[in-house]
Amino acid sequence: MSSVTRYTCEEMFRRLDRYLDRTLSEDELAMVMAHLEECAVCASEYRFEESLVEEVRGKLRRLDLPSDLMSRISAGLAAADDDSETTED
Amino acid sequence: MPSTTSPPSSAEVGRAELESLLEAVLPSAYGLARQLTRNTTEAEDLLQEAALQAYRGLATFTPGTSFKAWFFRILTNRHYYRYREARRRPVTVEIDDSPDLYLFARTAESGLHALSEDPARLLMSKMTEEQIRNAMAELPEEHRVVVALFFLEEMRYHEIGEIVGCPVGTVRSRLHRGRKMLQKRLWHIARSEGIVDQLTPAEASS
Repeated sequence: MSSVTRYTCEEMFRRLDRYLDRTLSEDELAMVMAHLEECAVCASEYRFEESLVEEVRGKLRRLDLPSDLMSRISAGLAAADDDSETTED
Repeated sequence: MPSTTSPPSSAEVGRAELESLLEAVLPSAYGLARQLTRNTTEAEDLLQEAALQAYRGLATFTPGTSFKAWFFRILTNRHYYRYREARRRPVTVEIDDSPDLYLFARTAESGLHALSEDPARLLMSKMTEEQIRNAMAELPEEHRVVVALFFLEEMRYHEIGEIVGCPVGTVRSRLHRGRKMLQKRLWHIARSEGIVDQLTPAEASS
């Protein structure tokens, strides 16, 4: 059984990347959240990094898919079939 | 659409099957292709080539497994191939060892933390999608792919590893380093485009 009852700020800092990656264990996450409730410095760092990920993600995902892209891909695949049929003749 | 007077050829059935699978993942695939390449034309070329490769190799896809992961793997491999062909020399990458919490520190120094409870959101709200894509484009190739998959698809390490063909440990270190480098690029763009000055005019003269 772990003797750690709370994380230090150093331990919090080491877990920041994995927190953002959502790869902390349940126990680790509970310890992180408990520390964030008590430590304004770590809370502002975590909040900043998390917000940055959300904002960048939102902007990168905002893409207009060309409406005829699928039909162009489809035409390309059909042309590939036509080419291979031609060479078989 | 197969002819009504004769049954569809095996090629037509295979193509229809692939197109149906592709259509479902197209927005994500296009998003990834845009992050890997420099513009919409290159992204579409890459997608076309990957679709063709997927069509030719359709027998290697196991129904019931993730088509997205399978196709994304083809897409990223195709990109690496095109990228290295264009460079015509081995890619040597300078890894920028950016410090942790880079953007947090820079925005704090510039006074953005005093302007908002969410300084990251404040800064990003002034940056365009194009500027953020440009920041991504400046990352070393292998890091950019991993970072793109993390941001676009919220993938975990093993999912990314499956696509790029890397162990989980490599994915993790590239993702962490890539995010740090991205922060440095974002700040550089925010400074050079006058965004920081715009937000903190009182600091601009210091």
